[in-house]
Amino acid sequence: MVTYASVSRTRQLMTILREALGSSDPLPPVPPLPPIPAPPARVYTPRPEKHPFAAEAARHTTALVGIGHVGTRYATDVLLQFQAELAITHTAVGAELPDDWAEKTGFVPVRSRVTSHREFLLRPDLGRRLDDDSLAVVRSRCQKAVDVQIIVADGLSAVACMQTGKVLYDTVAQACAARGLSVGTPVAARFARVWLEDEIGQEVGAKVAMILLGERPGLGTGDGLSAYVVYQPKLGNTDGDRNMISNIHMRGTPPDEAAQRLAALAQAMIAQRTSGVTLDLAKLGEVSRGYRAPQVRQKLVGT
Amino acid sequence: MILEPIVPTVLSIRRLPNADPALVRAYGGDPAKHSALGLVTCDQDDAMYVALDEATKQAPVDVIFAKSFYAGAAHASGRLSGEILGVIAASEPEAIEHGLDAIVRCLAHDACFYDADGKRTVTVFPHVISSLGEYLSREAGLPVGSPMAYLVAPPIEATIGLDAALKAAEVRAVKVVTPPTETNFACAWLAGTLDACEAAAVAYAAAVVEVASAPKQ
Repeated sequence: MVTYASVSRTRQLMTILREALGSSDPLPPVPPLPPIPAPPARVYTPRPEKHPFAAEAARHTTALVGIGHVGTRYATDVLLQFQAELAITHTAVGAELPDDWAEKTGFVPVRSRVTSHREFLLRPDLGRRLDDDSLAVVRSRCQKAVDVQIIVADGLSAVACMQTGKVLYDTVAQACAARGLSVGTPVAARFARVWLEDEIGQEVGAKVAMILLGERPGLGTGDGLSAYVVYQPKLGNTDGDRNMISNIHMRGTPPDEAAQRLAALAQAMIAQRTSGVTLDLAKLGEVSRGYRAPQVRQKLVGT
Repeated sequence: MILEPIVPTVLSIRRLPNADPALVRAYGGDPAKHSALGLVTCDQDDAMYVALDEATKQAPVDVIFAKSFYAGAAHASGRLSGEILGVIAASEPEAIEHGLDAIVRCLAHDACFYDADGKRTVTVFPHVISSLGEYLSREAGLPVGSPMAYLVAPPIEATIGLDAALKAAEVRAVKVVTPPTETNFACAWLAGTLDACEAAAVAYAAAVVEVASAPKQ
């Protein structure tokens, strides 16, 4: 039971004084705490009609546009979605390709000069060169003087490499063969950066080198692969010498479609004897300009 | 009944989660850090001052405005006006909720006037604050956490009571407000040790009861 003494020192003092002054009739009981009515709950819904431009833009991108606001903050569902997407991204960046993945999947395993995952993230230069053992493996086990040397690699997302790397390799190899190009020994590289294709392609004497590797994860997209294609691979090539396709995953460019484009690219490079900015993409025809529907944001939290 | 607590009535509790900067400035706040406001009116001004101080102890809020209304609750401008409007301010609406919680709890169970003559025609506020919060310590010029006796009564009772309180214990008058005030009561703030403040408050209340029972002695 709540008594005056238990809730307030002043009330206790006054009770004692009261008794000392001779009034001993009982005080009324302490009233319970009055309830404080909660502030009215307000549900904030985005009002797309207020910002039709943002709403229209949001239909074409997974970027955070047209998400509205609650006062000066994000709405809770937007924030939770953002955190969930960021978690996917962090997971992909932190993932490593298992040591035996390449052999189990039927690739010749090679690795760059990087010795640890942390070093891989911090030293892009080391990820662009083969270590000595791998160089020997490439020299001894890979078929030489092929048209296209395809390399699968972890890049910045081992998750993507493990999920769709094998599938993409198979479809690209088939598409190249269908265009009459000879395809080299399948190689899988660990701790690899894009430019590693130059050294491998140079060693096997391929006309075109193509590396399929996990791309830098974006919000909610940890499973995207990129493909970089270069004519006459050799150490010293720059990014201006390369053509690339990004966002190869089921919500972006599907592997089947990407494979057709990559094979067409390789064929065009051999025909035009160049790649990169000097390659005339207009001669590729329709295959290089397919329409890609806008990527739809996947709802990860809430109802 | 003599020295029966007269529990204050909270007449209104409202929030402004994002008050206009001009309003915040006019009420004494700093728009840079006070965007959320909590507003309370009550029919006992001195209990409210103590409750506002309690709020600054329980929540990261500042008391930006607290003023008594002329002639007191019996002559209020409206049924929600009471005797005082207190405004607490913070940067987060959540802090305001905790502050309002503390105010309501303090008003219900701690700070209040007491009946001094058994008919509620004379009342006394002999309150002991064991540990001052940021608000009243600033008003009184005392360190945060020090004890203080907050003594209020009508003019003649307060005068006799203050003399008794100052003589009853080792206390120091930090502020004496002679009548008339907005509500026509008289007020004194006494500092000292907690024991001294308690003894002074008890002596004050006893003196007020005594004057109320024998006004023409």
